[in-house]
Amino acid sequence: MICWSCQKNAGAGAFCTACGALQPPDDAQDLFAVLGVPARFGVDLAAAETAYKDLSRQVHPDRFATGDPRARRASLARTVQLNQAWRTIKDPVRRAEYLLARAGIDIAGKQPTPGSEEKRTVEVGAPPAFLLEILELNDELAVARRAGDEVKVAFMAEEMRARAQASMTTIAAGLDSGVRAQLEEAARSLMALRYYQRFIDEATRNVSESGPHRTGGGGGAG
Amino acid sequence: MADALFQISEPGESRPKHACRTRAVGIDLGTTNSLIAIVDGGKPAALTDAQGEAIVPSVVHYAGDGGVVVGAEARDRLAPEFPRDTIASVKRFMGRGRRDAEATRKLTPYQFAPGADGEGVVRFAVAGGRAVTPLEVSAEILKVLRARAEEALGGPLQGAVITVPAYFDDGQRQATRDAGRLAGLEVLRLLNEPTAAALAYGLDKQAEGTFAVFDLGGGTFDVSILKLENGVFEVKATGGDSALGGDDFDRAIAELLLARAGMAEPADARTIRHFLDAARASKERLTSETETAIDVAKAPGQTARVRLSRDEMEALVAPVLQRCAAPLRQAMKDAGVEPGHLSGVILVGGATRMPLVRRFVEQWFGQPPLADIDPDQVVALGAAIQADMLAGGAGRDDVLLLDVVPLSLGLETMGGVAEKLIHRNTTVPCGAKQTFTTFADNQTGFDLHVVQGERELVGECRSLARFTLKGIPPMPAGMARLEVTFMVDADGILRVSAREETTGKEAAIEVKPSYGLTDDEVERMILDSFAHAEDDVKARLLAEQRVEADGIVAAARAAMRDAPELLEGGEREAIDGALAAVESARAGADHLAIRDAIEALDHASKPFATRRMNKALEHGFRGRNVDAVDAKLGGR
Repeated sequence: MICWSCQKNAGAGAFCTACGALQPPDDAQDLFAVLGVPARFGVDLAAAETAYKDLSRQVHPDRFATGDPRARRASLARTVQLNQAWRTIKDPVRRAEYLLARAGIDIAGKQPTPGSEEKRTVEVGAPPAFLLEILELNDELAVARRAGDEVKVAFMAEEMRARAQASMTTIAAGLDSGVRAQLEEAARSLMALRYYQRFIDEATRNVSESGPHRTGGGGGAG
Repeated sequence: MADALFQISEPGESRPKHACRTRAVGIDLGTTNSLIAIVDGGKPAALTDAQGEAIVPSVVHYAGDGGVVVGAEARDRLAPEFPRDTIASVKRFMGRGRRDAEATRKLTPYQFAPGADGEGVVRFAVAGGRAVTPLEVSAEILKVLRARAEEALGGPLQGAVITVPAYFDDGQRQATRDAGRLAGLEVLRLLNEPTAAALAYGLDKQAEGTFAVFDLGGGTFDVSILKLENGVFEVKATGGDSALGGDDFDRAIAELLLARAGMAEPADARTIRHFLDAARASKERLTSETETAIDVAKAPGQTARVRLSRDEMEALVAPVLQRCAAPLRQAMKDAGVEPGHLSGVILVGGATRMPLVRRFVEQWFGQPPLADIDPDQVVALGAAIQADMLAGGAGRDDVLLLDVVPLSLGLETMGGVAEKLIHRNTTVPCGAKQTFTTFADNQTGFDLHVVQGERELVGECRSLARFTLKGIPPMPAGMARLEVTFMVDADGILRVSAREETTGKEAAIEVKPSYGLTDDEVERMILDSFAHAEDDVKARLLAEQRVEADGIVAAARAAMRDAPELLEGGEREAIDGALAAVESARAGADHLAIRDAIEALDHASKPFATRRMNKALEHGFRGRNVDAVDAKLGGR
């Protein structure tokens, strides 16, 4: 990369090694590499967060508000990429999706991740029997909710959380295994997890509407 | 280490090396009141006028002669008399359309200029046949604040941070930033009000932990959940209602006052303004009192005394306040925080002074809110800190603000469904891409509709803009690959760009904002304002001097009527002469002549005024503030 400011070789870092000017990011860079952490599901979240905040302090637009327009553009683009990286990595579902897309496994109905388009992707869909079961459970939930049966709604949500937890365990084990069959198993679990998640959201939405002191379930899965 | 990097990384930057203060200001452009603050000697402080008043009421009067008056004078003297020409709470109209609730409600003293097709941005029809947009009205307030700061600093400003409600949508943010530009400010950043408050509070108190900021102002409600840790101010979630605030309480109270005065729904602007003011006054009194009585004018010369107890008022206000509950729940859920696990709740906004609001907050969060900061000033102080940091003020390199998008951003897809590209509570700046294709052979254009909101259907979201992509090379249907990029900058403002991927051609974008002004329109306004800058200043000074003249003439006449026995030989004639001189100067267009005449009148009436004051003191005003007595006597 040639530095926009001094026209010398800028090196590979965020700042030009010759003059220190902030350089635009490489848009194709792997999001784990952006934060400088190993690309695996069992990522050290504390280390990733520290890296995210340290890097943000250096490149954030707040640091370049009165700087050269080119430095400001670089700062904006760098920070967009950093935020994208941390948002993807901190959330277990997004992290799993990203790792699968990286490995060339695509889940039906999901937009292809930029950068993965060149690879051949394997698409994983939902088996009809699974969809049917979810459909029935959704109906059951709707009936319980209409009847005002809060105990049943809470019970169903709890049951679904247990399933989501089990999926998460499969995903975690599969993703870091490096074995193709296990990766695809993880992809199927991830797909199932989306349905579970939607079910839990639906069930807890109602619970949280019933009183100001309850705010629903204990956050996301995993 | 970071410091060294910065020094070499910004070679062209004129960063003051040893300056004790920057020339960047923070502005709280509020619904009811506005403030401007600056960091001086490491501490933020609000700038005051000659009387030591920091607050500028956000009220703008348009006079028939083209003059503009902003502030307390407009609110207290001109609004009751010229309600249609005196715009209060303009913030509620920012980035809003003619068909929005705000422009169509019943109790409004304003007249709206008709649009070509009933669409587009709201315009107020004011004196002199003018139609002004909310953006222009806000710019008038900003100009006054800017003048105050430039006088305090003795020169031009480096830039400004203007605060906005966290829940402001893209159109409202754009309008605010453009108002800043129109007022001749370099807008360094738009900062969310709760974040500004947290910044001021957190740095001042060295606070760490997870906090909720409960911000209920005149026209907007915001709640933000922030994590404060090692100088990082990270917004976890935000929620709110950009049309909920003290004004809504006033309206509910005004309706009751009208009913108690035995009046049907009034249509005339003066009565509406009068009752809204009476409602505000009662509300403020009931903060410290449990019951109040207020005189309202039923008809010219006929007043009615209306009683209102705090309990009654609270019964009226409670249902409005209850509208805070849903955004609160949503924000807590989005942040993944239980109310009991918060380190503190920070109150912001004038409406949080109400005992009912404090009880509501305490009950909802299960802990008493932190009230050791001035809820009226904290936002401006936070903005000043941010402005100082952005302009390179010393010693704050460890501070990092991580704010979020308040409402999801998306595009209309087939069937009127809103497809979200950027979800709410995503840290800004952020971006997203989506690829589209053509559906007809040789299609060269593509319409995109950008929306903001959480609902599934486009019709239930806020329409931000319609784009037409042009110049797509002719090719069979489904072959073109249009990559649309959304980019939200650190101000929370969206930019959209598009590119045809197979040819690499940038598609031309034609923007038609749904409720705002196009860049061209704003650009034209700014150019116009440069052309008329000098005229504007003169018109303003003239209007201000005229208002001042009216005040002093009325006071002098009243004093002579009340205490003719105190006039000494020849004094009446001298004062009458000076009065006539003021009036004749007032009829002219030279503000300096009016000022001189006012000074002459002051001088001529001074001995008389002094005698009146002494007399009054003898009559038992002893021990009270002389200024207050002076004001009572109408003297100066």
